[in-house]
Amino acid sequence: MIAQINIDYALCRDPLNCRKCLSVCPSVVFVCGPTKVWKGRESDSREYKIFGRYYDKCSGCGDCVKVCPANAVQLIFVPREQLARKFREERAAQLKER
Amino acid sequence: MCWVCEKYGKGGKWYLNPENYARRLYKIRKEGKEAAGADADPQAAGMGAGVVAELVKARISGDREWENEIKREALEQAYQTHFGQVVTLDEYLQILDTAYPLAKMTCGCRRVQRGMPDEENFTCMGIGPGMYKWERWPETYRGGVEFVTPAEAKEWAMMNHKEGRVQTVDVFGTPYIGGLCQCEYPGCVAVRNRIDYDFKFLLKGHFVAKVDREKCTGCKSCLGRCQFKALNLEVYTSKAYIDLEQCFGCGLCVTACPSGAIQLLERQSMPGLAENW
Ligand code: SF4
Ligand code: SF4
Ligand code: SF4
Ligand code: SF4
Ligand code: SF4
Repeated sequence: MIAQINIDYALCRDPLNCRKCLSVCPSVVFVCGPTKVWKGRESDSREYKIFGRYYDKCSGCGDCVKVCPANAVQLIFVPREQLARKFREERAAQLKER
Repeated sequence: MCWVCEKYGKGGKWYLNPENYARRLYKIRKEGKEAAGADADPQAAGMGAGVVAELVKARISGDREWENEIKREALEQAYQTHFGQVVTLDEYLQILDTAYPLAKMTCGCRRVQRGMPDEENFTCMGIGPGMYKWERWPETYRGGVEFVTPAEAKEWAMMNHKEGRVQTVDVFGTPYIGGLCQCEYPGCVAVRNRIDYDFKFLLKGHFVAKVDREKCTGCKSCLGRCQFKALNLEVYTSKAYIDLEQCFGCGLCVTACPSGAIQLLERQSMPGLAENW
């Protein structure tokens, strides 16, 4: 099974300052990246967003869900083969467009 | 010699060639639309991470050809612009005599992967004239920069080595080296992507570490030093074991050994490993 990690961005407002999920995850699944790049200044911390980028490494331990003060992390598991099929279809569509 | 040396080494190692540090102000690429705040992909944050989302999909789908294509295209681009290579502490110290100015700054990878605050995260070293940009416009980079003298930088580098951080050179517009990093698995995105997805944004170093089985006493002092999953204890003979194919040649295990039982050898002197970057 593979994790599908959804973050409710309406609830997770200031991830770089909260960073609880980033710091608790034993598998370093999350990243917190900027949604904007500015030439003249650093991105504001509210312009950052949490992603479960390495969701293929998630064990399902649930620590992130427990630690999130905003209840913003949702974790569901889907069969690997189901996801694999979906991605293979995406790839096929990609190849067809060439 | 690796391909970077062949192209930019002038007969030696490319990162010891002073030309690759001395250049007019490194190019400020953030022109035009970024001035007004261009959209960025938050999933692409960290050193060389732009393709991770795709790589993960390819991995899950089990399509090797897709995975290889992603890597091939991404690396072709990276090797012309932005990539890294592991160096030893000795080489790092030599570089500190060449590069100027030197400035400590926040490590981007550990910020995005662990959200580490700047006060605990000044583990990256920016080098060269590009650093004046940060001093002049401190609001462009959270935490700003802290300029250090070569002597201070060396002391800091030795401390980092002692603490167990891998040292790497980082290119910003090949072959110009604009950063010296102190990395680890999995906090460093480049190391993580290399180990977990075999994405060769980070190249192995020019050395490999070999155990002298006659000298090794099995004291275990070296265990825990390796950030590349290359070192463990061979329990049945009670000797350290290094997987030479996996070794990046950082030398962290070498300096931890009280018996002088681990030696760094030139990768090129080992025919079986010479092509293994
Ligand atoms: S713990 Fe919750 S609120 Fe905090 S950064 Fe993570 S998702 Fe956002
Ligand atoms: S469930 Fe555990 S492993 Fe998965 S993302 Fe959350 S903390 Fe990390
Ligand atoms: S490459 Fe290493 S030091 Fe540089 S930003 Fe990444 S982890 Fe930090
Ligand atoms: S075995 Fe030693 S030299 Fe090789 S990567 Fe690990 S710590 Fe570095
Ligand atoms: S530190 Fe040296 S002597 Fe001790 S186990 Fe490692 S290689 Fe052997």
